[in-house]
Amino acid sequence: MATYVYLSLIPEALVASMLAPDDFGLYYAIGSAKRSRGQALFFSVDRDKLDPKEFPLEKIDAECVPHPDGSPKLSVYLSIYRVLERVPRDALVALHLATDDGRVLTLKPEAFEPDGEKRAHLYQEFCPVTPRVVSRLHPGEFAEFITDTAKSVHIPRLVYAELTLGNLKNNADHPDIDNLPYPNIGHLRDCLRELAFGPEKATKTVLRQMTQEVLYRTIRNGFFVADADGITSFPLPSRDALEREHLAWWRSAQSTFGH
Amino acid sequence: MPAWFWLVPVASIAALGAAYGFFRAMMKESEGTETMARIAAHVRAGAIAYLKQQYKVVGTVLVSLTLVFCVLAYVLHMQNPWVPFAFLTGGLFSGLAGFIGMRTATYASARTANAARDSLNHGLRVAFRSGAVMGLTVVGLGLLDIAIWFLVLTRFYGTDDAHQVVVITTTMLTFGMGAAVQSLFARVGGGIFTKAADVGADLVGKIEAGIPEDDPRNPATIADNVGDNVGDVAGMGADLYESYVGVILASAALGAAAYASHGADVQLKAVIAPMVIGALGTILSVVGVFFVRTGEKATQKQLLGSLARGVNGAALLIGVLSIFVMWAMGLDNMWGLWLALLVGLLTGITIGQAAEYFTSQGYAPTKRIADASKTGPATVIIGGVGEGMMSVAIPVLAVVTGTGLAYFFGSHFEFSVGTMSMGLYGIGMAAVGMLSTLGITLATDAYGPIADNAGGNAEMSGLPPEVRERTDALDSLGNTTAATGKGFAIGSAALTGIALLASYLEEVKIGISHVLERGDAYTFPDGFSIASNAMDQLEGLNLMDMMTHYEVVLINPKVIIGMFLGAMLAFVFSGITMKAVGRAAGQMVDEVRRQFREMPGIMSGTEDPDYARCVSISTRAAQREMMVPSILAIAAPVLVGLIFGVPGVLGLLAGAAVAGFSLSMFMANAGGAWDNAKKYIEEGHHGGKGSESHKAAVIGDTVGDPFKDTSGPGLNILVKLMSMEAIVVAGVTVAVHLV
Repeated sequence: MATYVYLSLIPEALVASMLAPDDFGLYYAIGSAKRSRGQALFFSVDRDKLDPKEFPLEKIDAECVPHPDGSPKLSVYLSIYRVLERVPRDALVALHLATDDGRVLTLKPEAFEPDGEKRAHLYQEFCPVTPRVVSRLHPGEFAEFITDTAKSVHIPRLVYAELTLGNLKNNADHPDIDNLPYPNIGHLRDCLRELAFGPEKATKTVLRQMTQEVLYRTIRNGFFVADADGITSFPLPSRDALEREHLAWWRSAQSTFGH
Repeated sequence: MPAWFWLVPVASIAALGAAYGFFRAMMKESEGTETMARIAAHVRAGAIAYLKQQYKVVGTVLVSLTLVFCVLAYVLHMQNPWVPFAFLTGGLFSGLAGFIGMRTATYASARTANAARDSLNHGLRVAFRSGAVMGLTVVGLGLLDIAIWFLVLTRFYGTDDAHQVVVITTTMLTFGMGAAVQSLFARVGGGIFTKAADVGADLVGKIEAGIPEDDPRNPATIADNVGDNVGDVAGMGADLYESYVGVILASAALGAAAYASHGADVQLKAVIAPMVIGALGTILSVVGVFFVRTGEKATQKQLLGSLARGVNGAALLIGVLSIFVMWAMGLDNMWGLWLALLVGLLTGITIGQAAEYFTSQGYAPTKRIADASKTGPATVIIGGVGEGMMSVAIPVLAVVTGTGLAYFFGSHFEFSVGTMSMGLYGIGMAAVGMLSTLGITLATDAYGPIADNAGGNAEMSGLPPEVRERTDALDSLGNTTAATGKGFAIGSAALTGIALLASYLEEVKIGISHVLERGDAYTFPDGFSIASNAMDQLEGLNLMDMMTHYEVVLINPKVIIGMFLGAMLAFVFSGITMKAVGRAAGQMVDEVRRQFREMPGIMSGTEDPDYARCVSISTRAAQREMMVPSILAIAAPVLVGLIFGVPGVLGLLAGAAVAGFSLSMFMANAGGAWDNAKKYIEEGHHGGKGSESHKAAVIGDTVGDPFKDTSGPGLNILVKLMSMEAIVVAGVTVAVHLV
């Protein structure tokens, strides 16, 4: 049986498992029996690129072995604290998005290319911190801004996604915000206004932390992993591709209640 | 027998022949992929299993009641000897109509989904013509039943004596009770089944396990789809069969009474006029079905136009061609009766449009409920209840206006005792006008669940997005057109309720005649007495005389008590059925939870859920839970009659009709509005899917489910069943009552 190493973002942990990504997503989302459920985001990690001094990699071969009855070992936790910053960006070979009933969509890394559209951005950070912020910076600039070691406030490495702002992206007062499922839209508008009328401000926090699951339908473009050396993009397939090629995941993603 | 009568069996055979042709054509279509066929087979097996169980229970009830009627007819001589058989055939034909419709629908869903892979038009054709199978089967069997019994009874009694014609028509009304019993069980049982499965599937599947609607991993999803068939197709088929024959027979009975003094020939023509109009409407319905077609690249608007062309074309033609029927019948006041018929058609359209306005997400009331979701589930519930209550106004105003105008046109434009029976015949004609093209309006009703199931099948089978968009378009179209069909059904129930009050009094006269035949005199509550040899005196009593002698006035406590009891029954019946759904859904929730707990392979897709067990739970729950409301409906007119006599029963029927009609409209519209408010949000308003508003709207929709699919439709049947039953047991009420 093959052994896999995953970097989970909710909660942050490095885990070895004998389950392939789809099965691991299912297990992580709903448990080994149907008693719990919850969204899961995790990366497949190339173990050869991990630093053995940072993680007890020997535990993988020693402990991640089949049970006496032949069933696969579900999980062996290798680390649970400040994990992301110790996993090299190029070791993250795929991002897996598990819905709360365990359907898994796998995203492959690509080089980031800004789309060139001038607009306000809404970012949801997933790891290691989880605020939601609005910003005038595009994902690449935001990555530089947040990982700039010259600043007193910075993060060594960050996983985040851009969320759709709909009609608010260019007009904080636009009346048509029908399909935006965010709580307290009034506060979001205030934050966007502050950004628009205060050119000195690059970002503004909307929510201090993520309290509920993110609706995948609100993800715009995809996910990003950024550090001081650059940014890797994990783009979400187009709506048509999701409907056509990943229907089971997409239907499940839409049935989630979130924020 | 007037030559026009033969149009009735001809139309019946034409309708049944066309239904068979459409069925064969549908069966020639492919069911699509293996997965599509497998899902359809699961649904079909579940639906058949349910119906078998239901027919066992209903069969037992029908046979038991037949035995009771045999005792009343042959041992105690309180009833016409034909009643037990007429009752039984009504029940059998009603069940058969529902069974054929449901069987067709379960074969049609996968075929519709597969046809939608080809084009929207192909999908529409398969779904609509499959719906037409039920529409035409209902009217075909209804006309067949009417034609056979009319021929048998006229052969037995003859048509020379005006009194005998009245006896024939009121006897035929009793097979309406058989149909009503069948339809009550079908509607209430089907409604409990479908909502238990729906609520169970949603609560655990969607809310707890987070799996989408129609996900094959949900153990209750097949039961949910089965429920759509047994509730919305089989239940509706049995229900409308009963409405259709009830309307025609009640009008025929009113015609017999109204024209009793015009000579046997004219009286007979007045009796067969509603049958002939029904037959003509049926032939036009068959023609109308062929009008429903579009180009291969039709838009949603063109599809709607196509369906409207079929339905409205048939209605327009019946409006025009019924002039010739009236003329051929040679009835005096033919223009008045024709206008009454037109009033019926317009009343039905008004009720349908009002329902559409109050329940469609395109209009303000549903948008207001969706808007209320921004402040949580409580305001959604308050909004839905409020809008539902407001929605009662237009249908009630339409019915009272329609009733008044139809009476006015039927009674030679005057309100007087002398023309009352003519006015009531006008009301009967209005009801016949509404349901004359039932063949095609019911096709649009039955087409809805077929398109809905096709959508579910397409989702579960993972068909490409353009196919699902097409099945969604067909489903949405079905929801729009069904509103008009429901308007006709509800409106006709209200008008029939009024017509049946008059028929009840005619049956009471027949009951009194049985007393006189036994050699006893009969004394009315006001002291007026008829000697055993004064049959002519009895036959000379008009409706107002009967009301006077029975002291049917508002200050008579027997009437008031009856009215209160009738209104109370409407609420208690609704309460019992709502609670039944809650209990049955609870059992379903437990079962779905158990399966998820004990069969972890379900979620990973390595293990199939036990669909059959969920179907079986819903089936058992439906059978058990429908007994109390059904017994209540069957027992109430008998008990009230035994205690308070004829005035009490008239009060009961009036109270139940007034409260039941209003409550039924309220529940159906509130439930529909909640459902569509949720859909409106899912279309991307107020935060769209997954938002807090969506959560609130889902709660509203769950509350509304038993409103619109169990209690609301059941109330109409409750009212009609009680009227029919009062007529059947009128002889007993006349002979035995406490006060």
